[in-house]
Amino acid sequence: MKYKVTHTTIYDYSDAVPICHNEIRLWPRDHRRQTCLQHRLRIRPEPAHTDHRTDYFGNHAGQFAIEQPHNRLTVTAVSQVQVMPAEIPAPSSTPPWEDIRDRFAIGQPPWWLEARQFVLDSPDVRSSAALRELAEPSFTPGRPWLEAVLDLTRRIHADFKYDSTATTVNTPLETVLKIRRGVCQDFAHLQIGCLRSLGLPARYVSGYLLTQPPPGQPRLVGADASHAWVAAFSPEAGWIDFDPTNNVIPGVGHVTLAWGRDYGDVCPIKGVLVGGGQHRMRVAVDVAPIPD
Amino acid sequence: MVPGLATSETHVQRDLLKGYVPYPQVHDELLTSEGGLRSQWQKFVPALAQLGSPEIARRWEQSRKLIRENGVTYNVHGDPAGLARPWELDAVPLLLPTSEWKTISEGLIQRATLLNMVLADLYGPQRLLSEGLLPPELVFAHPGFLRPCKDLPVPRNRYLYLSAAHLARDRSGQWLVIADRTRGPTGAGYALENRLVMSRMMPDVFRDCQVERLASFFATLRETLQSGARQDQPRIVLLSPGPTSPTYFEDAYLSRYLGFTLVEGGDLTVRENHVYMKTLGGLMHVDVILRRVRDELCDPLELSGGSYQGVPGLTHAARSGTVLLANALGCSVVESAALVPFLPTLAHFFLREELKLNSVRTWWCGDGESLQYVSENFEKLVVKSSFPSARHTAISGGLLPKGQREEWIARIKARPQNYVAQELVTGSSAPMWAGGTLKACHVAVRTFAVASGDSYEVMPGGLARVSTSSDPLAESALGGQGSKDVWVLGDGPVANVSLLHPAGTMISLQRSGNDLPSRVADHLFWLGRHVERLEGTARVLRTTLTRLTSETSFSGSQSLGPLLKMLADLMAFPAPLRPSTTAPAMAVLEAELGRWISDPERHSLATMVSRMRGAATVVRDRLSLDSWRILNRLGQDLVTQGKDPATQLTDSLPLLNRLILDLAAFSGMGTESMTRGPGWRFLDLGRRLERAVQAMTVLKVALVEPPADEDSLFEALLEIGDSSMTYRNRYLTMLQLPPLLDLLLTDETNPRSVGFQVAALLGHVDALPHSNRQLLRSTEQRLILDTCTQLRLADVYALSLLDRQGRRSALERFLVRHSEQLRQLSDEISRNYLIHAGPARQLNEIRPST
Repeated sequence: MKYKVTHTTIYDYSDAVPICHNEIRLWPRDHRRQTCLQHRLRIRPEPAHTDHRTDYFGNHAGQFAIEQPHNRLTVTAVSQVQVMPAEIPAPSSTPPWEDIRDRFAIGQPPWWLEARQFVLDSPDVRSSAALRELAEPSFTPGRPWLEAVLDLTRRIHADFKYDSTATTVNTPLETVLKIRRGVCQDFAHLQIGCLRSLGLPARYVSGYLLTQPPPGQPRLVGADASHAWVAAFSPEAGWIDFDPTNNVIPGVGHVTLAWGRDYGDVCPIKGVLVGGGQHRMRVAVDVAPIPD
Repeated sequence: MVPGLATSETHVQRDLLKGYVPYPQVHDELLTSEGGLRSQWQKFVPALAQLGSPEIARRWEQSRKLIRENGVTYNVHGDPAGLARPWELDAVPLLLPTSEWKTISEGLIQRATLLNMVLADLYGPQRLLSEGLLPPELVFAHPGFLRPCKDLPVPRNRYLYLSAAHLARDRSGQWLVIADRTRGPTGAGYALENRLVMSRMMPDVFRDCQVERLASFFATLRETLQSGARQDQPRIVLLSPGPTSPTYFEDAYLSRYLGFTLVEGGDLTVRENHVYMKTLGGLMHVDVILRRVRDELCDPLELSGGSYQGVPGLTHAARSGTVLLANALGCSVVESAALVPFLPTLAHFFLREELKLNSVRTWWCGDGESLQYVSENFEKLVVKSSFPSARHTAISGGLLPKGQREEWIARIKARPQNYVAQELVTGSSAPMWAGGTLKACHVAVRTFAVASGDSYEVMPGGLARVSTSSDPLAESALGGQGSKDVWVLGDGPVANVSLLHPAGTMISLQRSGNDLPSRVADHLFWLGRHVERLEGTARVLRTTLTRLTSETSFSGSQSLGPLLKMLADLMAFPAPLRPSTTAPAMAVLEAELGRWISDPERHSLATMVSRMRGAATVVRDRLSLDSWRILNRLGQDLVTQGKDPATQLTDSLPLLNRLILDLAAFSGMGTESMTRGPGWRFLDLGRRLERAVQAMTVLKVALVEPPADEDSLFEALLEIGDSSMTYRNRYLTMLQLPPLLDLLLTDETNPRSVGFQVAALLGHVDALPHSNRQLLRSTEQRLILDTCTQLRLADVYALSLLDRQGRRSALERFLVRHSEQLRQLSDEISRNYLIHAGPARQLNEIRPST
């Protein structure tokens, strides 16, 4: 499938902002199933300078600074992305989850070095006994890894209520665990925390959903904004995505932007500014299929 | 040698050593196991004995005074009041022979070289991880491993410019490294200050002992930073966390000693990937940053958010190679004690060498066997976090109650990779000065290494920490109970190195320009205002007290009311105190006035003193040492008095006199010693503005609504304005308002008159940097020109006239209008020269709202 993704962010300030520095991750990265064919970035007012690099996790990271007083900042990213379907092994054919845990235990030789860091605590996701308890019903002894992760995804979807007012960007995981409500970011962090508490590697994926589903299929939650889900690793299958907010394995309907240990690594836009007074932010996302 | 002299020498020496009992079972620095003096002490101890106890005590007292006057302090971390404690220095240095120091020094050079190579690998190819030499968890889980700095180009692959190691001896006397400090380590400045104090205290002993000088270490630091920059004459700044930092004294001290500009995060800005300093004259390029702000706080954009100590965009500027950071960002990752067990392997891998200096035995609990050992030997070990945060805390297993021990072991087993255990090292025992004799204490040493060429150079000396308890010696530069200078004794005459005269280099001439950071100008401006406000208030208080307590109190009572009203105005109290004729009411008044002077709990003259000292603290690197000494003692007794409930109002009079004299001394230092650069200009601007506004307030309160008998009030006004003598010289005893107004308001030759302040302000405002494009006068120029002209044109006879209501309304209008203009002037100056656009803040992050 081919998509055109338009992601617009507008900041309005009550007082003029004389200078701001920003870091953005709005350029969809390439991976096994995805190619970004085209990417354009439009920033108003015109930045004094822009820069681009590949970050630690291989994501596209942009930098820009605006050095003229402004009351509004508009950042529009337009990308064309081709996404291939996911190839998922038969869940029962995957090894017992304990095998994977043991191969990522401390003191093991440096196999799959890149995945090793995703077992460890990160600033927003710290493993805990409570998270392990939450995960354990899905991870019965000897259960095939993929079966168990899919079951956990299903249970988070069933037991936690989607509520965009219950949490904020700074709500800690313990609170989400207690109030059993939240949004995609919270559910992704929750599932990552569960997997890491068992000693399994898991990472955070930021991206988009198709805005209008194909005829006959329901519109997924979160289609008009940026979305987030989880990827888990097995040495045999590699990284496989899971979307606990919608209880699906992301396929051609999910467009990947970036990945990292948690939200903090892949925040789409962050900035530091001086002045500005009160500010208001609006985001609009549109993901439309491009006919072949 | 004359035999008799030798005998008396041994005699005094015996007295000195009489009470010295080394700690059992540890190496003693002073005495061999047979009880004889170690060779390095054989010159020092007789020399000390020769001086004699009383003389040492006298010199010691002088040195302590010097430390207090120099204001050597450190903020105690976690102290809510941010109280700056005076630095404690022991009178007896730690002596080490050159031969021993050479071994230590080689070990430290090897260690710094090795840690630098580890950093270059972890932020580069990561061979240590892929070849299994270092567990990935040690790096990946370390909050100090800054992912944005991976593959960030670092000039010459030099990450560590300055590193420190904490050393202590084991029981056998072998030196061990207890901890490494790699993120802008502190302590070198304190070591230098200790050395200055010690060499002044015993210049003769110091010379005879042929002590290696410390200056070359700092010269190397400066040379390395200068040669590391791309530019020929780089601008080097020292980035400090600011006055709330525990080691702000050291930041200010070092920046002054090294000749670098002291800046805080808010002074710097990144424009088009270059770092600039915001100054009065505009933005100035910064080439090198000697960093004392913690790695992760250096850049709120790419590193951790919510920090005001850093500079947004700094990481990317470093990535672009436009600025050199020393140390490079991310160095704290090798500070982890968990690295210690792996160091021998790493030394072999990188250098094909054995470690020359051993570390304390360390177990990383992430390793199964080590975890086993640690849980079985918990009470013998010291446990630390593998990933030290801001505060390095360690717990001693043996000191914990049994129940807590179990708890700790369980905690470690839950996350073994997060913990490290080390053997307890109490350090050697060494002599310390204890009121006349020598007493034993535990000692450990912080050493420093600086990059030099392709290698490192070690400071020949260090900062010894002293403790009389057997707890593990705190590893921080500030821990323990006190400090000692460390003397490395040379074999021959010691070369003199001074930072002021680098041999063979021609220095280009410089004058103070407009490169003063706006923040510093702002602080100096406010310091000027605080000093003047304090002096004005103290003068009115003194005049009030003399009226209240003197025998002529009855005749003076006419002026008391206006004086109390002036006080309320100057000190911003809502209501003035009211004079009364009854004795009990007067007692109440006196008691309340006493509280206005010295009550530390509420707004009073004493709290104004503290506020002024606070304002001075933030610009201490701009004040001369003498100015700082005056400031340090200024008003101290007032604060002390406030804590004593038994004080009488009359006791305050001498204190006020001293305060006024000290303030005059401080102003004198400014007049006589400060170069007439922008710093002085802003200090003086603040002071002139405040004095003009105060003088007008005083005149307004006293003269607009005159009491029946004005003579005593006129006398009070002259006294406040320090102009009684001039008045008498000019007019003898004839007290009249027009000549008085001339002297206090319009006479530009009287340094206490409003006219004098305004004329000075006019000169200052004209000298401020103005835009070249501006043809017309600026707002601030117009304001001050108007006030100055009106004052010159003023008719003091007309201003003295009463209107039909018996008020001096013409004078009132004049004073109100020009006070207001001066306030506007102050606002304009702040707006155009001083205020930054406010602190940087984080944008609300967007979250995926699904």
